[in-house]
Amino acid sequence: MKGKSLTILSAVLAVLLLAAMAYGQDTIRIGWTADMPGIGATFYSSQKNAIELFIEEVNANGGVLGKKLELVIRDSKLKPDVGATVARELILSEKCDFLIGPTSSAVAKAVTNVAKEFKKIIYFHTSNTEDLTTKDFQPYMFQVVPNTGIEGRGITVFLAKKPYKRYSYIGADYAYAHTQWDAFKGSLKKLNPEAEILDAVWTKLGETNYATYIPTLMAKNPEIIYSSLWGGALSSFIKQAKPYGLFKKASITSLYDLDMLRATGMDMPEGMLGYARCPYYAINTPEMKQFVEKYHAKYNEWPADWACMAYDGLIALTTAIKKANSIDSDEVVKALEGMHFASLRGDRYIRAEDHMANVGIYVGYTVKDPRYEGFLVMKDVVEVPAEDVWLSVEEAKALQPK
Amino acid sequence: MVGGVVILILFALPFFLAQFGKSGEFWIWVTTEMIIMALFATSLNLVLGYGGMVSFGHAAFFGVGAYTVALLMKKAGVNMVLALMAAPCMAALAAAVVGWFCVRLIGLYFAILTLAFGQLLYMIVFQWYTFTGGDDGIHGIPKPEFLGPVNYYLLCLIIFIVCFLLMRMIVNSSFGLSIRIIRENLDRAKFIGINVRRYQLVNFIVAGFFAGVAGGLFTELNRFAQTEFLHWSRSGDAIFACLVGGMYSFVGPTIGSSVLIFLHIFLQQIHQSLVEIWAIFLGLILLGVVLFAPEGLVGLYEKLTGKAKVD
Amino acid sequence: MSPEFFLFILINGLSQGMVLFIVASGLSLVFGVLRVINFAHGSLYMIGAFLAFSLSTLLPSGSLWSFIVLMILVPPAVALIGLGLEIPLFRRIYDKEHLLQLLLTYALLLILDDACRLIWGGDIRNVARPEILAGSIEFLGLFLPTYNVFILVVGPMIALGIWFLLHRTRTGNLIRAAVSHPEMVGALGVNVSRVMTGTFMLGCWLAGLGGVLMSALANIDLGIGMEKIIECFAVVVIGGLGSIGGALLSSVILGVGVSLIQLPLSRFAIVFPYFAMALILIIRPWGLFGKPER
Repeated sequence: MKGKSLTILSAVLAVLLLAAMAYGQDTIRIGWTADMPGIGATFYSSQKNAIELFIEEVNANGGVLGKKLELVIRDSKLKPDVGATVARELILSEKCDFLIGPTSSAVAKAVTNVAKEFKKIIYFHTSNTEDLTTKDFQPYMFQVVPNTGIEGRGITVFLAKKPYKRYSYIGADYAYAHTQWDAFKGSLKKLNPEAEILDAVWTKLGETNYATYIPTLMAKNPEIIYSSLWGGALSSFIKQAKPYGLFKKASITSLYDLDMLRATGMDMPEGMLGYARCPYYAINTPEMKQFVEKYHAKYNEWPADWACMAYDGLIALTTAIKKANSIDSDEVVKALEGMHFASLRGDRYIRAEDHMANVGIYVGYTVKDPRYEGFLVMKDVVEVPAEDVWLSVEEAKALQPK
Repeated sequence: MVGGVVILILFALPFFLAQFGKSGEFWIWVTTEMIIMALFATSLNLVLGYGGMVSFGHAAFFGVGAYTVALLMKKAGVNMVLALMAAPCMAALAAAVVGWFCVRLIGLYFAILTLAFGQLLYMIVFQWYTFTGGDDGIHGIPKPEFLGPVNYYLLCLIIFIVCFLLMRMIVNSSFGLSIRIIRENLDRAKFIGINVRRYQLVNFIVAGFFAGVAGGLFTELNRFAQTEFLHWSRSGDAIFACLVGGMYSFVGPTIGSSVLIFLHIFLQQIHQSLVEIWAIFLGLILLGVVLFAPEGLVGLYEKLTGKAKVD
Repeated sequence: MSPEFFLFILINGLSQGMVLFIVASGLSLVFGVLRVINFAHGSLYMIGAFLAFSLSTLLPSGSLWSFIVLMILVPPAVALIGLGLEIPLFRRIYDKEHLLQLLLTYALLLILDDACRLIWGGDIRNVARPEILAGSIEFLGLFLPTYNVFILVVGPMIALGIWFLLHRTRTGNLIRAAVSHPEMVGALGVNVSRVMTGTFMLGCWLAGLGGVLMSALANIDLGIGMEKIIECFAVVVIGGLGSIGGALLSSVILGVGVSLIQLPLSRFAIVFPYFAMALILIIRPWGLFGKPER
């Protein structure tokens, strides 16, 4: 017994010595708690491509404040406790100065608290629960993706102007979907009191087989089906629902990000109303054009929404670091608040009270575009600006921890 | 006494690690987690090694303890001491309900039923999102200021030692002996008048109680509780810890659990990609243990040093 | 709910149940003869699905013949993988206690699941349905996917095939004898070991077939193995370990039950299998058609 303990102890010491070996102090280390498996997989590669592209460019131009950027990636596996452990590891063992957030909102909540504990700034580019800027707000963070409130309310602003009456819903039975549906329902009732909101259909999280849910959904005879399914799940649902004739009777409104559109391919029906968080093909700023060219040249594919937003987050972060002329977290936070930055989506700023970037959603209709082979995109894309639908400063502050 | 030396080292460890700045703080956190998981695995072993029953639902009691602390402290503002006392009681209650159904069966059916109940509890916590926060979990649980990394480690260590000694007392008592008789020869136990069901149920409840302690401590360590704590694969992890360490020895689960946690983190630090094959690695270790060394590390050690098997 | 819709849900649920039956019958058979509960059975099913995907990329998409080739080639491939596992691993644990069998096959599950992740990656895959089966059949004003009807036809055929094999062939007689009287079978000079290996391979063949069928019905991702084994547990526990008829009945009950509960209580449909399993284990632990464990 004693022998065993001593062996373990010496091994621990060996590792400590290894870890304590000096990491270069003239780099800025950015740690990323990435959700790699399952549903996270396609998003992960888009995000990684963009992040690595940014770091490569910046380093080629001399880095930030004369220091090169270095990326350290850990897999948070879509599990909050794993996320918390690896976030700690990134901060303590890997000595990261800043953090990049995950895909899953559940993991994001765990990780934001670790960031708060160690006063390291983290930014969220994909996980978008509104809780991150309200109930779970802490100053060492910022968000560059439109949150669930902006999305849920934003799409109702659009829908309220249309003549649809019967709304149904399908989503996976987990917290993220519930908060979205609640935001959607609340806003729709206010904007269109005539609307009839039917019972929601909840699927199992990670469901691959929608056969039982589809007829249930159809039985309620909706005109618009709002869905919190995303990525591969939404793609499967649409593909499986097609032979049931669902889209002859109803339109599905959901998150039509590029990865999902690519996965669904030509099975995607035309004329479906949806929204995206950052559709490169509908955003015509010079910054976006340049980015798309570079991205396509390097990776031979078009950048998904996550890629653009992960990139945007780094733009904001490095802008703040330069403005503060320091990598000290408190200085950078001060610089971030109210700061404008040249986002790929145009000029954007980070609201001081909740560190939310004023990023809205982009609503459009699906269409086949000859420029893009193998998948549909959206046309007639209209932006619903964040300022129209985000929580007011008072509302946000009321929800934040005292 | 070997035990005394080990305890001294364990008490001194965090002070030693604190000298290494941030890396040291990380390892203090890891060792605290090891202590908590060792408690969890040891509690499972009351049922597994000593009771001879495979329970795939033990994580549910860990989770009940975890959520008790989370809910009491975050939503009801209860202080930590009371919450940590309530956690094992709620876990024991859950174990009583689940156990009552499960101990009516033996062997394979017991295993499957504990799996079913464990997953049922998992689903309930997952879906009842208004109460438990669903798979978001409950975050931002308060922690007293003075419980920094080193102090919290010491708190967990003290609680662990107390629970360890209590469980060992139970195992070595006449109750423990009866449990082992039931494991060795069910019919004989019945023959000599042991009320098998009642003994197994009490054993199950005691195991659940201590799992609840571990769950509560884990929640305070992380300052959140999440549904994954109850997933049956976590029960599987605890079973492995017992198996790898040695389920026929009292200290086996502690060793197995610590070794596995350490290996996982160690591999990750050596090279990220090694962690990507962790599941295969773990599966192979397990395969090896089941086929060639079912008495685990402790068993191997005893064979190597020629010690007689202590039961 | 209109009677047409009820019928629609029923048919939908039945086709789900059929795929489940095909996979679960393999598990049940293996337990009946080998007395081993193979936790990794779901992983073999997943491997079958992934293999179907890989093979489909080499074949012309949408053709019925491609799909038939998948159904012919993939299950034996999975059976061979099963053989590769049986010889070094399973043979060692036939006489060990269930506890160790469970643990060994759980270890196998971890290894196989992670091997799938390494080979095929984390992306969601699927096999395109052959064009002739990709559309829908209009039925009383509702559209039922043709593929689901296809499963509804194939499923009972397989069930019949298994029944025929077990009750009308010599091999089948040997298998059934080995289930009820293993010692006698050995005493009669039959190579029991070969019967066991053969049965195990048959079980894997069924898992692989289930995987192929599911690969075009729904999506393939790394979680379907673990998900399936739990469902199979529910089936064999409710139906009775070792009973094919029981597996059929309980697959139907579970498939239709989950479908029916969807409408009034969609959030509880997910716990239904666990609930049913727990209920049976308490009331009648050896299942509807099983025999009390020796």
